[in-house]
Amino acid sequence: MKKIFTIIASLALVFSVYAQDARQRTTETIVADVLAAMPAQDASQFNEQMKDLAAAAPESIIEIARIMKPAGEGVRNSIYEYALSGVVYYVTDPAHKENATNVLMGLQQAAEACSDAANKAFIESLEMYLKPAETQLMAQKLTVKEAGKLLKSGAIQDKCYAAKTIIEDGTMSQGMKALANALKGDEIQLRNAALGYATCKYGVEALAPMLIKAFPKASVGTKKDLLNWFGNNNVASAESLVSGAMAGDGDIASAAIYAAGKIGGDKLGKELIGFLGGSDAVKSAAALAALKSFKGDIQKEVIGAIGTAPNADGLMNIASTRMMSEAYPVIFKKYQSGDANAAKYLSGVVGTQNIQEIGNVLASAKDNVPQLQNALYSCIHTLAPQEQYAQVRSLIDKASAKDNFYAVLARTGTDAAVEDLEKAYSNGSGAALQGLLGIDNAKAAPILKNIAKSDASKIGTVLPRYIDLVSVYVQDLDVKRFDLKDALELANAKELKAKALNALSEIPTMKAFLLAGQYLDDKDAAYAAAHAVKNIANKTTEEINYDDLKANLEKAVKVLSSTGYADDGYAISEINKMLSEAKPSSVSQLTDEEKEQGFEMLFDGTSLDKFHGDKEGYTPVNGAILVSANYGSTGNLYTLNEYRNFVLRFEFCFTKEGANNGVGVRTPMGVDAAYNGMCEVQILDHDAPMYANLHEYQVHGSVYGVIPAKRIKHKALGEWETEEIRVEGNHIKVTVNGEVIVDGDVRKACKGHNVAPDGGTYNPYTVDHKNHPGMFNKKGYVSFCGHGEGLKLRNVRILDLGDKK
Amino acid sequence: MKETRRSFLKKSAAGLALFTILPRNVFGAMNGEKKYTAPSDQLTHGIIGVGGIGMSNLHFFSNDRCRLVSVCDVDKDHLDNAIAGGKEKFGKTLKSYHDWRELVHDSDVDIVDVATPSHWHALMSIEAARAGKDIFCEKPMTRTIGEGQKVVDAVNRYGSMFRLDTWFRFKDTFYGLGTTVEPLKKLVDSGLLGWPLTVRISGATGFAWKFYWTGKENLVPQPVPEVLDYDMWLGPAPYKPYNPHRVHQTFRGYWDYESGGLGDMGQHYIDPVQYILGKDDTFPVKVEADAPQQHPDAVGIWRNITYTYEDGCKIILEGEGFESKGKVPYIEGPKGKLYKGFECTIPNIMDILNKMPDSEPRVTDFLESVRTRQKFALNEVNGHHSCTIVNMGACALRLGRTLNFDPKTQRFINDDAANLLINQPMREPWASMM
Repeated sequence: MKKIFTIIASLALVFSVYAQDARQRTTETIVADVLAAMPAQDASQFNEQMKDLAAAAPESIIEIARIMKPAGEGVRNSIYEYALSGVVYYVTDPAHKENATNVLMGLQQAAEACSDAANKAFIESLEMYLKPAETQLMAQKLTVKEAGKLLKSGAIQDKCYAAKTIIEDGTMSQGMKALANALKGDEIQLRNAALGYATCKYGVEALAPMLIKAFPKASVGTKKDLLNWFGNNNVASAESLVSGAMAGDGDIASAAIYAAGKIGGDKLGKELIGFLGGSDAVKSAAALAALKSFKGDIQKEVIGAIGTAPNADGLMNIASTRMMSEAYPVIFKKYQSGDANAAKYLSGVVGTQNIQEIGNVLASAKDNVPQLQNALYSCIHTLAPQEQYAQVRSLIDKASAKDNFYAVLARTGTDAAVEDLEKAYSNGSGAALQGLLGIDNAKAAPILKNIAKSDASKIGTVLPRYIDLVSVYVQDLDVKRFDLKDALELANAKELKAKALNALSEIPTMKAFLLAGQYLDDKDAAYAAAHAVKNIANKTTEEINYDDLKANLEKAVKVLSSTGYADDGYAISEINKMLSEAKPSSVSQLTDEEKEQGFEMLFDGTSLDKFHGDKEGYTPVNGAILVSANYGSTGNLYTLNEYRNFVLRFEFCFTKEGANNGVGVRTPMGVDAAYNGMCEVQILDHDAPMYANLHEYQVHGSVYGVIPAKRIKHKALGEWETEEIRVEGNHIKVTVNGEVIVDGDVRKACKGHNVAPDGGTYNPYTVDHKNHPGMFNKKGYVSFCGHGEGLKLRNVRILDLGDKK
Repeated sequence: MKETRRSFLKKSAAGLALFTILPRNVFGAMNGEKKYTAPSDQLTHGIIGVGGIGMSNLHFFSNDRCRLVSVCDVDKDHLDNAIAGGKEKFGKTLKSYHDWRELVHDSDVDIVDVATPSHWHALMSIEAARAGKDIFCEKPMTRTIGEGQKVVDAVNRYGSMFRLDTWFRFKDTFYGLGTTVEPLKKLVDSGLLGWPLTVRISGATGFAWKFYWTGKENLVPQPVPEVLDYDMWLGPAPYKPYNPHRVHQTFRGYWDYESGGLGDMGQHYIDPVQYILGKDDTFPVKVEADAPQQHPDAVGIWRNITYTYEDGCKIILEGEGFESKGKVPYIEGPKGKLYKGFECTIPNIMDILNKMPDSEPRVTDFLESVRTRQKFALNEVNGHHSCTIVNMGACALRLGRTLNFDPKTQRFINDDAANLLINQPMREPWASMM
């Protein structure tokens, strides 16, 4: 921001337009302020900036255009482009149009003065928004007469267009004649196009009589088209024609049956019912499809016919699909009298009133068990889950053979059902295992995993369901990853590994990425792993170590290239895009001066070998230590050596608002360095709004609770800052971004009373009024004291000053 | 001579069949009672654009029912790759073209596959219809709302069959829902969720917006590679100096050609919603976008785009990284909610839905549609409707303001600049072909 302003200010010397706004700013200042805020982050900021720019037009526009540079390496014109397009869009809003003319004038003058072709083209492209003249479709019309000729001799698409022209622009008799001719012809494309145009123009009612009349003499192809048309337009008056066509043969009959389903009505309904189970299998199947979505009430006819038809399969199918509960008695009777098909249709017609009857049948059933289970579940499915469970439980308790009920028990989805099924399985019931596989309840997952672990022969059966349950129900991403890791370790077939990896690819974390990457070398799992690493890398907002990213994605490209699926080409280009945008990590090095002084590199971007402690919470990623440590003594990283006097230098960067950490000085391990070490030098994003009420001894750089630091303004999130901490005897000096913010003596700061003289917990001598028993430690570790995530550290080096001073 | 539309039409009206060559008589053959597939009954297709999607199995196939006969690309490497691929995959020699107009007017081609970047879709579809071809067009259907209107007009005018290439309204698992859209349609039709409904298309409900398709600002002009005819690649789009990031896999990041992740995934995600909500014949009346200011050339990211229909139904798109937290319903109505994985506040919903009558049959095989001349399930009309929603979002993003839309006139209300984005200027000679 500062930089841009300087450029503009220097230009002002030679370019003196001094338009001023209400805040007494010159055009240059207005422009500079706007440019510094480009691009706007939301609508209110956008409106605020553009309002200023528009009010200062045309000068503001001319000024921005003038300072744009010819495109070339390193030229960053985009802020000017944001500003110019922004102000144009702003004044095109009807609510902000008062300065539109001035903005247009500015653009025109700017374009004239601009010597760079690309910039000029850009400015000119904006002018169109302020003088909208839309390109209109050229009128493209045939006369009806021309169309008539074209209809006879043209290519097929020209005939279609000719028919459209005649029907839309000609008289009705011309149009009808064109349609009639089209229908007489053998061009299916023209017939259907003409039917469509005529329907739009004349409406179904006007056309129907003519088409009904034309039907008998039409060719086979035209008859099919007409039947489709009667059906799609629900032409009731075509009923008898459709009825007659249904009685015929072949494609025409099939088209007529389709139309009958759409037209509906008692007569056609009855006739369709008549085809069910008839000797013509094609017609029977077509009628079944038509009746499933039949327009109208066919309940009475269907139920009546079930009782009498020799083959009632189709009828029962309709009754079940359309949920005719009145058909229950007759279908149940069929079942009892040995109709093998009846069982599967019970499910559509039962209700709670049938629980006992169906339950009794199921208890002793040998055949049709799944169908009866469906029926029983249909009886209870409107009840609340607990009530469903109670009903099934009471049936089980009464029954001598219980296995038949487990599938239904599972469908209640209740916790109690999971427990019952687990118990039954451990007592040897195979049906209970099926229930555990079917139940939609997270509690089944660990049970299934244990089954897979204890019985390898069941892995193929239980693992897919385990993976599904984990995918759907486990919310915590780390827990989910561990669950899927178990699945991957258990998986003993290609499909299982692929399924687990697909589920893993939904976890957008660095650790999931690395886990998926481990399977890129497993030939059974490589393909799924390749997609998984691609998907995770795409989705994750976590930082992935460049070397890991590169190695895994490159492997994935190799795997995907070898499949020969053209679709994977798309995936490969996605990966290549990611690879081209990833940046390798840099290695930090000591400066020559530091080398001479004897500094030692503690972390150069690659390894944490010179530290011990919480290496889960502190991980080297892309040249920096990524901190995800939690608050508490375990979230600390300690130097390997202990130090007395030293100079510590490092760079830090906040990645999350309010990030918090600290440097422990002369601290033992496993304690709170602020009190039991010599001290803790605070690392804190104290600019975050949540820290509005911070004590002065808590701001960044403070010797926590002992010596307040001068409060600095941190750089933006994601930008690196430098820090040096020099500790000599009781003296401590902290320098951040070149500025000394603490320079004091801890002993003097508390007048020698690091603990309360009265032995109590209130210490009047320290600024936080707490005891600091470790303050006078002579030596100890240097540590980073974890307090949650959001911090990166790099280029950590130390100069050991030993016993000096 | 420059071929303007007017001069073209004069010629065709006069019966000079310069551009009007009858496709082989496949339609006539359907009239008879033939029950076998004679070679003359086999349909044929040609692909324009054999870079990314054009080389996928969706387009690059050849079988008994439909044979691939020709390919076209303005990048010589792509074209060579496709010719070699045809030889290897089908053992067939493919005809190849540099100028797509030649493929469109190739009398051996019945179906034209439009698999180019989307700034070409409308022109190619319109010209294919004019040439009497049927069209298999990639999503998004068109880059502007006006282009979509013209495609609808042309396909209708010349009696073509049109298929837009997304498919979730009639098959395949619908992303995070874990089922096809069929049960969703039944659920909404049943009224069990109440009305109006809000649909949330978000990472939180299983839909990713692919923000990696963003453009770059401050592109440095670079020499055009010899293999690429950049001027033809740009076609109707405004001239901008060449930079490799503009073309091929990354073209979506520039407003001149598409609209980033919204353009890439929008129609996949939104088209089924139009179907589910029963809104295939209408459009939202309002679109609101919450986003950082958009660069005039490079597509950026956005936080939220909300569409509102006249009856109060809403479609909410949540940008990548800006998803609602916690458990968020995919569809929410006054009486119930449906979540990712088809989890529903109405108990046993799948059982209830499984028992409802089947929905009406639709034509979901494009070759069947071509043969019987019944409209494909996802055609130029409903395709234009869902694509318009995508393009409305792009307009609101670019202008940075809420826009009101009139579904009857298909124009924005009281906003000239927004209406300019409905019909954007094109370079000649292409503008005259529209």
